[in-house]
Amino acid sequence: MARSLWTGSLSFGLVNVPVSLLSAVRDVDFHFHQIHEKDGAPIEVKRWCPEEDREVPYDEITHGYELDDGRLVIVSDLELAAIEPRRTRTIDIEQFVDLADVDPMYFDHPYFLVPASDDDGSVRAYRLLTEVMSQTDRAALGRFVMRAKEYLAIIRHRDGALTLTTMRFADEVRSTKDIDTATQKTHKPTKKQLDAAVAVIEELSCDWEPDKFKDEYRARLRRIVNRKRKGETIKAPPAAEQPSPSPDLMAALEQTLEELQKGGSGRWSKPRESQKTAG
Amino acid sequence: MPRSIWNGTITFGLTVVPIKVHSAIEDHGVHFHQVHAKDGARIKQKRVCSKEGREVPYKEVAKGYEVRSGEYVMLSQDEINAGAGERSRLIEIEEFVRAPEIDPVFYEHGYYLGAGEDGQDAYRLLHDALARAERVGIGRWVFHNREYLVGIRALDDALAMHTMRFADELVPADKLDLPQPTRAPGQREIQMAGALVETLHDAFDPTAFTDSYRERVLQLIEAKSRGEEPDLPDQAEPTAGMDLEAALEASLGAKQGGS
Repeated sequence: MARSLWTGSLSFGLVNVPVSLLSAVRDVDFHFHQIHEKDGAPIEVKRWCPEEDREVPYDEITHGYELDDGRLVIVSDLELAAIEPRRTRTIDIEQFVDLADVDPMYFDHPYFLVPASDDDGSVRAYRLLTEVMSQTDRAALGRFVMRAKEYLAIIRHRDGALTLTTMRFADEVRSTKDIDTATQKTHKPTKKQLDAAVAVIEELSCDWEPDKFKDEYRARLRRIVNRKRKGETIKAPPAAEQPSPSPDLMAALEQTLEELQKGGSGRWSKPRESQKTAG
Repeated sequence: MPRSIWNGTITFGLTVVPIKVHSAIEDHGVHFHQVHAKDGARIKQKRVCSKEGREVPYKEVAKGYEVRSGEYVMLSQDEINAGAGERSRLIEIEEFVRAPEIDPVFYEHGYYLGAGEDGQDAYRLLHDALARAERVGIGRWVFHNREYLVGIRALDDALAMHTMRFADELVPADKLDLPQPTRAPGQREIQMAGALVETLHDAFDPTAFTDSYRERVLQLIEAKSRGEEPDLPDQAEPTAGMDLEAALEASLGAKQGGS
């Protein structure tokens, strides 16, 4: 089982539940090592003090904040710990919200919260919170501090466990005001275009089944490594052609609908393919 | 406005939507450099060859995948980039799903899409159709030589795009092996806890939460830059272990008495 990243207590009114935080994401990425090309030996990255010209062990390192004028202000772990919010080992539930009210833009990293103690009272309190949240479909908001950073978190029920997702603070989510979102009246679709586009979306709609999406990038890297191991050379596939904007939106929508209805759930001829045959 | 980080095309069916991608998130974390405590020198990362014991310039460094302990398959950057596949500038929407079906754990990084060159009409059409159909378009996006699963949806006047985690990256809850209480919470406890949830229930207002710790870190840095030694307050922690029902009753009493 995954290693606990933080332990503390989840506090709900006067009820305190000792909990551990586990990552809900596992690292399945393909990792490469740095290798010295000449002799095939792995590269070691060393922390080096340029003043003394020697390697420095981790416990001799502290934090430096660079001011605008280039000066470094030294801040120690002790000082950082001292200014942590008073109840740093507690996630205080400040409010309950409807999950549907929270825009996904705020979600950051998902974790599980699990009971940190086998004490029967604590385990029951954990179970009680899980059950109440599953019955009401409410999610809890709270704040906590981990690794010298304060997090806003949303806690909810998922598959019989409590899930905690760290969230972005409002000032970290940018505004869309300077982005060209084509809101001028001239770009507004006609009713006929909109109806046709919605019909295309409905034809292509299905249930969300996350298991069917595989990380093709990871699979391709695995094949590349295997071929390379056998001594083959790898060439990058040519870049796909860029389709140009449809001059007639309605014609593109109608043709899509026609092909979707003719071919059932089959694929339509992709724009770049039809361009190739046309060209 | 932050400039776009990627320009390309979304297709749904035969409709082509030129777009620009902007990050929707800006990191406001306070970032530190590693410093040698003794002499205040900024730590450098030094690449050293484990065989020769000497520093190696970056151009002599290759990427290797460890197939067995100590055995590496060497790959050039071009060969690693080949893993991205061929759909370099195209996001093809493969299907549409309902947003409430997507569990929040799948959402990774958020982006905004802007209309690309000559693409305003198509942009508006995709936006308005997604908003009306209440759907999220699912496709794949190649960015920085890696392929991501993405969800595209209408957010206010804009199109938003999220990279999505793959299902096999997520730890299933049944792997957690949660302890079970000797007896389940009683009806009265569930009722009281439910009442407490309702008294704390409110609309979500993201601006109500600010990163107060970040502000304190910046104040500490400012004080130290003036040569002041900060006062370090003591910490107090709550104690665990309690009578669940009594704690719930007391919480409800405190909430109702206080309001």
